Amino acid sequence: MTRAILRTLAILAALAVTLIPILWMVSMAFKPPSEWQAAGEALTWVPRAPTLDNFRYLFGQGGSDLIATLDRTAVKPILSSLLSASVGTLIAMTCGTAAAYGLSRFGSGANLPLALIQLRLFPPMAVMIPVMMMWAFLGLMDTWFGLALVYGIVTLPFAFWLMKTFFDDMPKEIEEAALVEGCTRWRVFTRVTLPMMAAPLAAASLFVFILNWSDYLIALLLTTREWVTIPVYMASLSSSMTGQLYGAKAALGLIAAVPPVVLGVLIQKHLVRGLTFGALKQ
Amino acid sequence: MTAIHLQGLTKRFGPFTALQPMDLEIRDGEFLALLGPSGCGKSTTMNMIAGMEKPTGGRILFGDRDMGAVPMARRGVGFVFQNYAIFTHMTVRQNLDYGLRMAGVDPGPRTAAMAELLGLTDLLDRPSQGLSVNILQRLAIGRSAIMEPAIFLLDEPLSNVDAAFRAVMRTELKSLQRQFRQTMVYVTHDQLEAMTMADRIAVMDHGVLQQVGTPLQVYNRPANTFVARFLGAPGMNLLPGHAVQSGSAVQVDLGPIGLTPPLPGPASGPVTYGFRPEEVTLDPASPLKLPVTHVERIGARCIVHLGPVKAVFPAGTEIPSGVVGFTPGKPCLFDAKGGRI
Repeated sequence: MTRAILRTLAILAALAVTLIPILWMVSMAFKPPSEWQAAGEALTWVPRAPTLDNFRYLFGQGGSDLIATLDRTAVKPILSSLLSASVGTLIAMTCGTAAAYGLSRFGSGANLPLALIQLRLFPPMAVMIPVMMMWAFLGLMDTWFGLALVYGIVTLPFAFWLMKTFFDDMPKEIEEAALVEGCTRWRVFTRVTLPMMAAPLAAASLFVFILNWSDYLIALLLTTREWVTIPVYMASLSSSMTGQLYGAKAALGLIAAVPPVVLGVLIQKHLVRGLTFGALKQ
Repeated sequence: MTAIHLQGLTKRFGPFTALQPMDLEIRDGEFLALLGPSGCGKSTTMNMIAGMEKPTGGRILFGDRDMGAVPMARRGVGFVFQNYAIFTHMTVRQNLDYGLRMAGVDPGPRTAAMAELLGLTDLLDRPSQGLSVNILQRLAIGRSAIMEPAIFLLDEPLSNVDAAFRAVMRTELKSLQRQFRQTMVYVTHDQLEAMTMADRIAVMDHGVLQQVGTPLQVYNRPANTFVARFLGAPGMNLLPGHAVQSGSAVQVDLGPIGLTPPLPGPASGPVTYGFRPEEVTLDPASPLKLPVTHVERIGARCIVHLGPVKAVFPAGTEIPSGVVGFTPGKPCLFDAKGGRI
């Protein structure tokens, strides 16, 4: 009995730590500027005068007497984040999956896989200044594709290692069975291996996408104005008169949470199922 | 319909020799069982026949065609894996007609016929994920058999299915082979499967081919002590002794157990005296005597332990206690190196 109570309390505490800030963000997103800070009246959980002004403001409509109209809307940053994170994910997953398959099936020794993970021992920041110089030379600064390229490279080791583990776990007999039936290697890969890898591919892609989507530092260094991403744009949301634009930031945070949540729901089936090769002796 | 010739076939993995040079001829339309304990090289042999592994030395011929440079997709063999290797993202039908679709053949009638043969008709449009292992292995056999390969390779296909189903599948596999007359190579560590299905058995151990022969040949006339011990349940009794020449015959001095009845043939020095547990009879007058140490009653039979010797009797047999005399039946004599004399 005591155990059950303690258990419940622990779960509630954990939920509070994770959920309260998110709920607060949701609440803030719908509050008018007067309710952002405790000025005179106490802060409330439920907005006293709920409004969509914060969202309108982000997209360039309105603005109030307190805050000057934004010189740029959230549209381009959202586009920038979507493009760079998804193309970066595509690069990492394509190269990572190909490399993982090759090394899992035909590679020998552990040196190359280890060398790849060593990239992660290196903080990306340590190489960002040289990368900035190269990107400036190549004209990739402040472009979504320049950013996507860096995202792809930085998350490649993750994609590679996740996929390699999955390929290692997949029995080679399944591919051999298809080969014996007269299938070519490429066809085995595209028609048998990849379809059976749907769940791991989905899970790894989501993981890599979230890494890219939530990056701040790389985007801060590699974009300046045209293609800043959501996190960089969010940091700039302040005004000289009121300081931090909490409501607008919360509204943008809510928008930023949408893609990962939608992706997560879409591939939930795969995430839950995980990696089960039901037809094989485990 | 193709015969398989293995000539000096060898496989090494680094310093480890998985298969010593092996010569074996598998006849056209024959059901050959490769029998041996785990790690004896039987699966390695099979994988090389299928083309999944490259031999370190020697040649594999299908008929008179050297398979050295032929990739596995072109060898035209059917292969059934121990772990089924079913494509779980496909339905039963898609698994079954996979090879036909790859070959660009209309799968319709043949799929229906094969499904009928294996009792899979009602399951054809079910996803293959989540089916029982019995069904999966049936499906795996069907997926290979539907291509009507001239050579059919099965790698311990029944070792994961349950015992009752194994008995059913033994009969079905044998009738499948009779129907299609393929050359069938069947890897197993289960002597019952080998004895009941195979035309000939190749017994292997430690990468060395020990003996090839019909089930009764390897059972009755084992080439060496390994084959003698490996076949039969329990295996052959093997007692160390000393050969004593008496005229044209030989007797074996088994020390405290006694002196065996005379056997034909010259022999001398240390030998191993072997006889089947099933052939032992109790005989108070026999010069061979041992104490009854333990009796295992297992349904239809009982296994009597006479010290190092095991004897099998029908269930109802009265077993005396204390020291009993026994006669060994038809004995086999092995030399000091374990080879048959």
